[in-house]
Amino acid sequence: MSSFLSFINDKRVRDWFYQIALILLLVGLTVFFVRNASENMVKAGIASGFDFLWRTSGIEVPFVLTGYTQSDDIFALFWVGVANTMLVTVIAIVLATVLGFAIGIARLSSHWLLSTIAGAYIEFVRNIPLLFFVLFWYFGVIAALPQPRQSIGLFGVAFLNNRGLTMPLPDAPGNFRWAALAIFASWLGYWLASAWARRRKDRTGQDAPLLAIGIGLIVVVPALAIAWASLATRWDIPVLRGFNYRGGFVVIPEFVALLAALVTYTAGFIAEIVRGGIESVARGQTEAASALGLRPGRTLSLVVIPQALRVMTPPLTNQYLNVLKNSSFGAAIAYPDVVSLFMGSALNNTGQAIEIIAMTLAVYLVIGLAVSALMNWYNARIALVTR
Amino acid sequence: MTRTSALSIWRERLFATPFTGFTSMVLVVLMAWIAIPLIRWAVIDATWVGSTRADCAPGGACWVFIRARFGQFMYGLYPVDQRWRVDIAGLLVLAGVLSVVFAPQRFKLNLTLALLVVLPPLGIWLLSGGFGLAYVETREWGGLMLTLFISIYSSLIAIPLGILFALGRQSELRIIRLISVIFIEFWRGVPIIAVIFLASLLLPLILPGGIGIDRLARAVIGLGFVIAAYMAEAVRGGLQALPKGQREAATALGLSYWKATGLIVLPQALRISLPAMTNEFIALIKNTTLVLVVSILDLLGIAQASLADPNWVGMNMEAYVFSGAIYWLICFALSRWSRSLEKKRRL
Repeated sequence: MSSFLSFINDKRVRDWFYQIALILLLVGLTVFFVRNASENMVKAGIASGFDFLWRTSGIEVPFVLTGYTQSDDIFALFWVGVANTMLVTVIAIVLATVLGFAIGIARLSSHWLLSTIAGAYIEFVRNIPLLFFVLFWYFGVIAALPQPRQSIGLFGVAFLNNRGLTMPLPDAPGNFRWAALAIFASWLGYWLASAWARRRKDRTGQDAPLLAIGIGLIVVVPALAIAWASLATRWDIPVLRGFNYRGGFVVIPEFVALLAALVTYTAGFIAEIVRGGIESVARGQTEAASALGLRPGRTLSLVVIPQALRVMTPPLTNQYLNVLKNSSFGAAIAYPDVVSLFMGSALNNTGQAIEIIAMTLAVYLVIGLAVSALMNWYNARIALVTR
Repeated sequence: MTRTSALSIWRERLFATPFTGFTSMVLVVLMAWIAIPLIRWAVIDATWVGSTRADCAPGGACWVFIRARFGQFMYGLYPVDQRWRVDIAGLLVLAGVLSVVFAPQRFKLNLTLALLVVLPPLGIWLLSGGFGLAYVETREWGGLMLTLFISIYSSLIAIPLGILFALGRQSELRIIRLISVIFIEFWRGVPIIAVIFLASLLLPLILPGGIGIDRLARAVIGLGFVIAAYMAEAVRGGLQALPKGQREAATALGLSYWKATGLIVLPQALRISLPAMTNEFIALIKNTTLVLVVSILDLLGIAQASLADPNWVGMNMEAYVFSGAIYWLICFALSRWSRSLEKKRRL
């Protein structure tokens, strides 16, 4: 008896007991839910399994990047949704970062009016729901744009109206593939050059003219490549026929509204991260750098920004993941992303709730893991090296 | 302050150097370009009195629409003669919060716990009825009242669950830690809109046949789980900020894990993480708007739905400005409170 008492009073034994009890509880709950689900599904006459993916979808999608038509199968529809989610996420992240940095730096400006306006924007945006912005841009702004006949022309080739943004489309994309290849090669070249410059600086202490090389390879070469490709290609320029524009590529109003909402909303959060990051670098560092004779520009690029980036990267990662998840707000205005196409239309047509929900959640978890892995790699690269 | 000194301050602020002056001019012109038409629309050309669409002057805002629809913005389709029940529920919550704030320090904890036991069921009874009150189905609820209902009841799920998972994530027991990490990362990794769909589709499916579950309850449970994961991370921040010696001292005094946690660790950790938890609560209020996708009409949903009224065509801007202003006021007040808590802690 006393050995039994000491056995159950042993901390290790009790810890294991609690953990095994928890596992049994979770397994029990899962079994309970799965059995209910299968009974309910049999009653409702829904088959389980992933065979439905190969059925013809029959769902028309207004915005397709993949060459999908409604006679394709449901799996193809799934990819249309994933591509649309990725497209709006990537563009929104880039634009929100640019706008957020601009507002964050304006917030820190010594110009009183500029920093006040930036502060007001941040306070305004952060305390209003994102869905509000999405609906506002869609039903308030885009719906108020003129009819196609009175479109706002942009350089005579692109046209903005309440049916979206009509842009010229290249007839043959061949030249653009070459341009993309050239851009990729020049960026790779810059990456190699900067690695070489860093090693040479470690060895000899000499600075390489990295800024000039960078502008050349990152800006000038791609600009030339795109200019060449645009001039060498025949363009399908939209023309007004009857009540609407024919030809070209139409960016649907749902995309424009969702992108505008994501960018204006997220920029407010990124601005605060930028401000916090720059403020976290102690003033003494700037003073020390200028005491050493560094000019303000070099102080910023060599002392302040590298340290601020270190503070900013983890919260920026969170914001990028938020943009990915928030792109699903498009479902409220029927932007054909993976939630509204797959969890909405496909689920309504097939009733395969469990499979479809699992696949949709998996999309976000997988992309999210990829984004955080990328940002963690970047974070590790810029992290403080302590020896 | 004399006139000259005020003037010199503004000259210093806006026109210290030619470049500063130029920037100021550009900004002032930009602001005027945006603000003048806005003020003309919202105040000068706006219509304030009247009762129908016909009273609205063209070109300006028609606030008559907001006045006519005010009841719906606040209560949704809740029966007009029963709205006093919502008001009483609101007053009870307000009285509860105030009594906790002004109670002497030593009663605070017990009073909070007592109110947490009494108020939530009382609120549900007042709003939905039964035991002498007429039933009001949840599909008739709406507007600001529903926004607040969802926010409060989801946090009632989220806060205890979040504390448990934060403790689980810090636990020495490997399996408990693993389960907590999976729970937190899963709910944080998926979009809330997908969770609301998931809850509304999956909850009726996994419960035994015949048990119906109200669609509002489904949304509240779904939101509660997501916010629990975010709350857990907020609480974890507090737990990590607390010196390890606190728990060690409690254990040395002979307190068990739960006693040490409940009496020593959590009270301090929660105080540290209160600002972070408030920020999550603000995020929750903003995210309640997503119940719109399963046709539950909270404040933003009612504003959106009111645009379809044929008697009031074209009131988009008025509806958005009014509902947006309410969200902004609530969230701004809370974020200021959270910031003041943070400042108090640093001192």
